[in-house]
Amino acid sequence: MEFKDYYSALGIDRTASDDEVRKAYRKLARKYHPDVSTEADAEQRMRDINEAKDVLGDKEKRAAYDALADRVARGGSPEGDFRPPPGWDEGFEFHRGPRQGPADHADFSDFFSSLFGEAERRGAARQNFRARGEDHHAAIEIALEDALNGAEREITLRAQTIDAQGHPQWNNRTLSVKIPPGVHPGQFIRLAGQGMPGHGGEPPGDLYLEVRIAPHKLYRVEERDLYMTLPVTPTEAALGAQVQVPTPTGGVVEVTVPRNARSGLKLRLKGRGLAGKTPGDLYLLIEVAVPPADSDDARKAYEQLAQATSSFNPRQHLGV
Amino acid sequence: MVNFTLTSTTAISASQPLAASELAHAVGADTAWVVQLVEVGILRIETAEAPPERWEFSSTDLQCALEARRLERDFGVNLDAAALILDLQHEVRRLKAALHAHGLR
Repeated sequence: MEFKDYYSALGIDRTASDDEVRKAYRKLARKYHPDVSTEADAEQRMRDINEAKDVLGDKEKRAAYDALADRVARGGSPEGDFRPPPGWDEGFEFHRGPRQGPADHADFSDFFSSLFGEAERRGAARQNFRARGEDHHAAIEIALEDALNGAEREITLRAQTIDAQGHPQWNNRTLSVKIPPGVHPGQFIRLAGQGMPGHGGEPPGDLYLEVRIAPHKLYRVEERDLYMTLPVTPTEAALGAQVQVPTPTGGVVEVTVPRNARSGLKLRLKGRGLAGKTPGDLYLLIEVAVPPADSDDARKAYEQLAQATSSFNPRQHLGV
Repeated sequence: MVNFTLTSTTAISASQPLAASELAHAVGADTAWVVQLVEVGILRIETAEAPPERWEFSSTDLQCALEARRLERDFGVNLDAAALILDLQHEVRRLKAALHAHGLR
């Protein structure tokens, strides 16, 4: 495990004031917000800066982290092989109240969890704090076929325990999750009792898995609707045609391409999207595919077409 | 490694919605905060005149509440400003999806 430098994650000095920590965090959170950032690693950077803010924005955690950093600097822990020394947090007390927002720190690094995860629970126990465990949020990416037909998927969760020597250690547990048919992106699947442990004998929280659909070679998913590009020949586009189209459930349907169809035209197959109270639709985006003029016959056919449509000017709107 | 098989999963939907107290717990808040979200229009309830114990929330509501909670916690915005930010955010996502749908991105 690597020792994480939270100050460099936020681009600040160790002497930074609380206000400077907050400002640095907000500036970076805007930069790496998934709706505005074009950086490839924006999601990971958001996790890193959230983690750094969680520690440096809390007086107790920051003081304990600083003390640990000094101890590590003195002890010369080998790079990439950091383990928190037993009792490193003596004299400090961390706990999350029950009303501090979503438990995003469940997604933080092993480094964070080994330092603060168990310590927060011990802090809560020392205070005789009783509350149901926090709900945990995570995402699950499934194939479109699994969203349509339902599936059973395994996910692995990490849980931390303290060994006999006082060292935190990780145990993995594998959950088999039933994906009901008809789930759509953004929908949450709830796993009762699989969230954070309860405090003071209270029950654990729940785990909420946000559904994400993996990119598909044919279909693109927008909420409950599906989009597919449908290539047609210039003849089919001009004269209209009946063409066969694969459906996401594995069948094939015949679709009418209207006469004088142009690229970008959208055909809707109602109710052929993802299932639900109001099922989604399947949209077909027409794309005119031009046959290559790679034979005498093809070239001749193009020349005849040019003669027959000589008054057609596709650049008329350009004024030329 | 400990293997454990789970059988009870629930997809949050119109037929299996979240209660106000469940939504509040899921985002680390209390029911009074959920009531505030309804008051500022971040969450829309068809039967807003009914008591909060009878309100029902969807996956979209949970997503909105999570985003509002993070805006409030991380940027210190009030809920009226959060409502506007979320409206703009959803509009950006809708427009991006429309661009995608037309093969423009």
